[in-house]
Formats: sequence, C-alpha cells, structure tokens
Amino acid sequence: MRIITHTCMDCRTVVSANELEANRVMKCPGIKCENVLRFADLPADDREFFLEHAEQYGL
Amino acid sequence: MKGVLLSGGTGSRLRPITHTGPKQLVPVANKPVLEYAIEDLKEAGVTEIGVILGHKGREEIQELLGDGSDYGVEITYIVQGNPLGLAHAAGCARNFVGDDDFVMYLGDNILKQGIAELVESFERDDYGAGIALQEVDTPEQFGIADVDDEGAVTRLIEKPDDPPTNLALIGIYVFSNEVFDVIERLEPSWRGELEITDAIQTLLEDGHSIDSHVVRGWWKDTGKPEDILEANRLVLEDNHLECAGHVAPGATVDGRVDLHETARIEDGAVIRGPVSIAENTVIESGTYVGPYTSIGPNSTLEGVHIENSVVIGESLIETSGKIVDSLLGRGTNIGRADDELPEGRRLVVGENSQLKL
Repeated sequence: MRIITHTCMDCRTVVSANELEANRVMKCPGIKCENVLRFADLPADDREFFLEHAEQYGL
Repeated sequence: MKGVLLSGGTGSRLRPITHTGPKQLVPVANKPVLEYAIEDLKEAGVTEIGVILGHKGREEIQELLGDGSDYGVEITYIVQGNPLGLAHAAGCARNFVGDDDFVMYLGDNILKQGIAELVESFERDDYGAGIALQEVDTPEQFGIADVDDEGAVTRLIEKPDDPPTNLALIGIYVFSNEVFDVIERLEPSWRGELEITDAIQTLLEDGHSIDSHVVRGWWKDTGKPEDILEANRLVLEDNHLECAGHVAPGATVDGRVDLHETARIEDGAVIRGPVSIAENTVIESGTYVGPYTSIGPNSTLEGVHIENSVVIGESLIETSGKIVDSLLGRGTNIGRADDELPEGRRLVVGENSQLKL
C-alpha cells in the first residue's frame, strides 16, 4: 500500500495523507510550530492516488 | 540506527483511565510507560527517535517528551492519524528513517532487560529484520515465530491452533531499510490494517534472513489494568529505590521505599516496601501502604489501607476501607462514609469503570 506523508518544512513533523485530507488545512501538529499544512501541499499524483484509493486509508 | 516508537491506539482496554489521556502515559512506579521505552532505545545507542502519534493524546505525549532533550535524545513526531496498522505506522516513518535501519518499539511495552542485545544481534549480520521473542504459556493467543536451530525465523503464524513453538512476538523489532519497499507492496488485511507480521513474512519470502532474539527477564504489554499492576510490581521489585523524603520519627518504614524529596510520611503511618511515593504526596497517620504500591504526585492518604495498587496522582484518599489490586485515575477522591446516613457507599463513577464492592 502506498503510504503518503508530508513533512513540515519548519519543524520536520511528519503528517500522513489521511490526516491532511481529513483537515484539508491544519496548523502543524508539531510542538510550538505555527506552520500551516494543506492537503494541497502534496504532489498532484499523490493526491490523486490517495483520493482514488480513499477506502484503503480508512476514509 | 534510528528508533520508531509507536504511541497511538485508543487504549480501550484501559478505560476509563484512557478517557482522559493516552495509555502510554499511564505511570508504572511513578514513571510513564513511554519513558521506559525512550530509556531502552537510548541505552541501545538509538538517540534519533520518531514518535508515532495517533488520534489520541498527541498533545500530552508531546508535552511530556518535548524535543527529547530532557532524555538525551532527539525526537521527531510522526502523525499517523487513522490506525491503519503497525506496518502503516512504520511506513509513515520512511522519510524520517531515510537510509538507516530502525528499531520499532510499541510504546506500551515494558521489559526488564532492554533492547541492546536485540540490536547488537541484528547488527552482527545482514538481516532483513530482527524480532524480539519471549516464551509464553499460551502461544495460541499470540503471534508465534517458528525458528531453526540457529535462531533464524522460518515463518510467523498469528494465533495458531497448533503452535510449533511457544515463542511469541512481543512488539519490538529491528528492520533493515528494505522493509519500506515491502510495505509498499502489502495490501490491508481482513481487518483493514497493514500487518507488520505480513511485512516480516514477505521479507522472508523475498529471501531475507530474519534474526530472532529471545528476551530474558520479564516483559509486559501494559494494555489492561491488571497489566499495569503487574508491571508496577515487577519494576518496584527490580529498581533501586531511594528514600529521599521526610519520614517522621513515629512512622514505620520497612523494606525498600522510593520517597520523593518533597514527599512526607507522618507519625503513625506504616509503609511496607517496595513502594514508590511521588512528589508533594503526604502519607498521614493511620495509613498503611503495603507492598507493590505506587502513589502519584500531589496526593494525600489518610487512614486508608492500600496495597498492590497504583494511584496515578492528585488524589485525596481518606476511606477507612481496604484498597487492594486497584488502579485509581488522576484526581480520584475516595472519602469515608462511616458517619453518613443512610448507611451505604456513595459513588460518582465514570463510563467504563470497574468496581468490586
């Protein structure tokens, strides 16, 4: 199963695609990090794959 | 070598304690279970640790561990979100692990001997993975490894009806980097999760050798209240305990007692170790604290008889009743009903609580 994650450029916290998709726009969950993470930050092919296989990701 | 520490899960078997916090922060001998794992990783030379977070208790876990500097390690947080299995959790750590090998450690496990021997054994040869095993009495209830005479794993079987060995997987693994490509090829199991045993089995089928290491000494998965009590007993039995707090001249203290420097045992109290008493806690006159008990911080015990129990903290316990084999959540207060009418017990009990009266 393809596992898609995004790494916050400010604090290096890693967030899985299912978390990003659930929130669409979210404050980075890293400690005291003010960065904003978006599902749209993922590469287009990752987003497309994720949405096409949403049932695998528990959505 | 990096570390991946799993700290997700719902903790459903530890309700109601886990209604208000993650299971990995339940204290054993007054220290959160997760800290034992961090110490084991550090002792094995693993100081770059990725902590996998689920939906529950993220803030509390980050608040406790911070950036890891208090523990002499460097922590990166990895938010798994949905609980899609241990192999999915490992896969989420791919960018963090990079080209390294890594130890994967379930954060609610606690074991006596640490993981240094497991890591050393894995590093002695070109293994695809190394797995920690322990002999169990009921192998049909566990994931079981079949091993050859050299200790190499030949197959894994989940809860077998006819177990070939009694060597159970205890939830601590070392993986080579190859596991990430294997995980990409896995499909979710019948329960919708990417199974770590499928990943190891695929490594085997791909021709990788899998090392095994049988853990000496005790091991506990602290998933249930009775497991917390058992782990508390085992740790208190083994640990060096230091009595740094105030013991009044008229108090009786026998055996080994870990008394924080700000804790007090007053005249007329009786303590029989091994016992751990945390900061700012007071054991008042007429109280008996018996073996294998841990009393958390900012608590007062007065007149109660308590043994083989864990009081997490912020509690006032004044009952004249006897408390045994109990796990009491933070902020639990137990008063006395001796003088109240009509006679009877008075309870305010949360969802999923378990009482024997």
